[in-house]
Amino acid sequence: MAEHRPRVVGFCCEKHAMDAVVLSSRSGRKIDASVRLVQVPCAGRVDGMHILRALEDGADAVFVLGCLEKNCYYDTGSIEGRKRVNYVKSMLAEAGVEQERVEMFNVASSNAWMYPEVVSKMVEVAKRLGPIGRGGEER
Amino acid sequence: MKAAIQVVICKCCTDVPLVLDLSRLEKLASDSDNVVSVAVVNAVCDGKELAGIVKNAVEKEADRAVVLACHKKDFSPALAKAYKRAGINEFLVEIVNLREEVVVPIKDDKERAQAKAETILNAALARARMLTPLERKKEDMRTRNVVIIGAGVTGQAAAGAASESGVHTIIIEKSTRTVKAPGIIMSRSQVVGAKGYSGNYELEIQAGEKSETLECAAIVIASGGGWTHLKGPLAKSVKDSIPLYELFLRVRSGPAPKGPIVVIDTPDPAGKTMKTQDYAWAAALETVIDLKKRSPETVVYVVFQEMRAFGVSELDYKLAAEMGVKFVRYDKGGFPKIDQKDPHKIVVKDASQGDVLSVPFGTLAFASIPMNESNQVIADALRIPMAQDGGIRRGSLQRGPVSTPRPGIFVCGSALFPKPREVARAEGEAAGSLAGEYVKGGVIEFGGSVAQVTAEKCSACLTCVRTCPYEAPFIGAASKAEIRTQLCQGCGVCAGICPSKAIDILHYTDDQVMEQTRVILGGDF
Repeated sequence: MAEHRPRVVGFCCEKHAMDAVVLSSRSGRKIDASVRLVQVPCAGRVDGMHILRALEDGADAVFVLGCLEKNCYYDTGSIEGRKRVNYVKSMLAEAGVEQERVEMFNVASSNAWMYPEVVSKMVEVAKRLGPIGRGGEER
Repeated sequence: MKAAIQVVICKCCTDVPLVLDLSRLEKLASDSDNVVSVAVVNAVCDGKELAGIVKNAVEKEADRAVVLACHKKDFSPALAKAYKRAGINEFLVEIVNLREEVVVPIKDDKERAQAKAETILNAALARARMLTPLERKKEDMRTRNVVIIGAGVTGQAAAGAASESGVHTIIIEKSTRTVKAPGIIMSRSQVVGAKGYSGNYELEIQAGEKSETLECAAIVIASGGGWTHLKGPLAKSVKDSIPLYELFLRVRSGPAPKGPIVVIDTPDPAGKTMKTQDYAWAAALETVIDLKKRSPETVVYVVFQEMRAFGVSELDYKLAAEMGVKFVRYDKGGFPKIDQKDPHKIVVKDASQGDVLSVPFGTLAFASIPMNESNQVIADALRIPMAQDGGIRRGSLQRGPVSTPRPGIFVCGSALFPKPREVARAEGEAAGSLAGEYVKGGVIEFGGSVAQVTAEKCSACLTCVRTCPYEAPFIGAASKAEIRTQLCQGCGVCAGICPSKAIDILHYTDDQVMEQTRVILGGDF
């Protein structure tokens, strides 16, 4: 088998976060090709089930991208999203999976440098930990 | 229902073919299930090309479309309109951002860009097969009333701007003052409760001793700042100290205030309870210049930690200094204090000279004031969130700078935070004309991508009722959660949190999201 490429899935809110993604691309920043975005209306829409199912289907790392907490389009959506991501993290810890694989980020729509940073961070995590159950610790 | 998908690949002028092999994408699309037609166009945002695509969709009897182009916000209104004319529901048009997600950021690695493009095309096709047509509903507004809370500078500007759209304006004012503004003015009134949704609000108004109900379509909050009262240790120790606004009024109309006059930036210079507010600099300069023009012999001190006269008010700063206003700058080394022996003397260490000054005063004015206390009443009545400092909280900036998190309610002027009159007037005009424009149409549009409850699964646990930022879910007569569609904004917070998975957001259902993720992860990376 060829060298394993990191598989990262991002749930991206279609308001500020999607604008930030588009802005970072339009301002000419290079973004790692290992990321696939799934568009959701709001970070609060992301369910723990969606994240866990993505990990089950073979994602090495999953991130959720939402608006800034004080500037969320749906008022409390990104706060709810963060709660849910933290809940998933606690579940992962119980299951013996590294918590770093799941992360929530807040971006402002005027913030072009944040999204490439988020991506490189998550790709680095995915590279370091490898696929679930194979890389890292022995089970 | 059998899906018939039309795939449109936009070249975005010349960008896309430089990186991607379009013939491979085209082949992949045409080999997929349910695809009836594949079109490659130069620019989907071009009206002629768009008409061609839609014609093609009609010929091939496609009932849904996958468009690979650029950012959804840039062209989706035109696209949805064009497809609607061809009888294709706007919710059945799936847009993939090929340009900004694939082509531009990964143009150096063509092989991986191609893999990503193919994967997201597959995912979009999988999602498109699962989409269902949704209708946005329409409802007439019962009235064309715009209610403006507050008859100050901001409220008058808002009423003027709103009435230009030909709507009825009703100003609700707490005090007895009369103003000249278009529409009806209800003095000695206060909003104490509200029901309904954007477009059809029903307000409960306490007018004098009577309680009235008033229907309206939009609300503008222009409650202003707490101009009349002071808060903070310095203000407490000097009984007859006044806010800057009061000084301004006395200079303009009443008898000349007793000199010497001292203007201090904040009543709590040493503490943190009251920061110097943005408007203080320009407003203080304006007032002291006015004062000096009327009575040049009055001695005026302006005691500020720093004078940030920005923009053209820098000229005011120069003018005031030339007119003989004495500026005293203080810093952490010596905050202004009231003299222990003489309560009409202020002691401050001048930061630029290093001397400790003892300034006697006849009138003491403070430039920073607390927020309006009525804000709490208004926020409770309209059920909108407050900011930590006691102002009305602004909604997300993408909704607009004069909006609250609730659609149909606008906020402007010093209700947000104290600001100069000109700025407040401009904000009032903005909020007024937005409200007027919104009400002018007379039709509320709602529905589409909203929450939906599967009653069998609901256990009436109230989680959605507590979580929704818009108070859309409620427990209905059958002891199951129901959604007020007019209030639902389609954020999906309730769907994400529902422990029984009884709520789903149409257009972003659990199945649709998870199917998309599954296909994405099944593809090459």
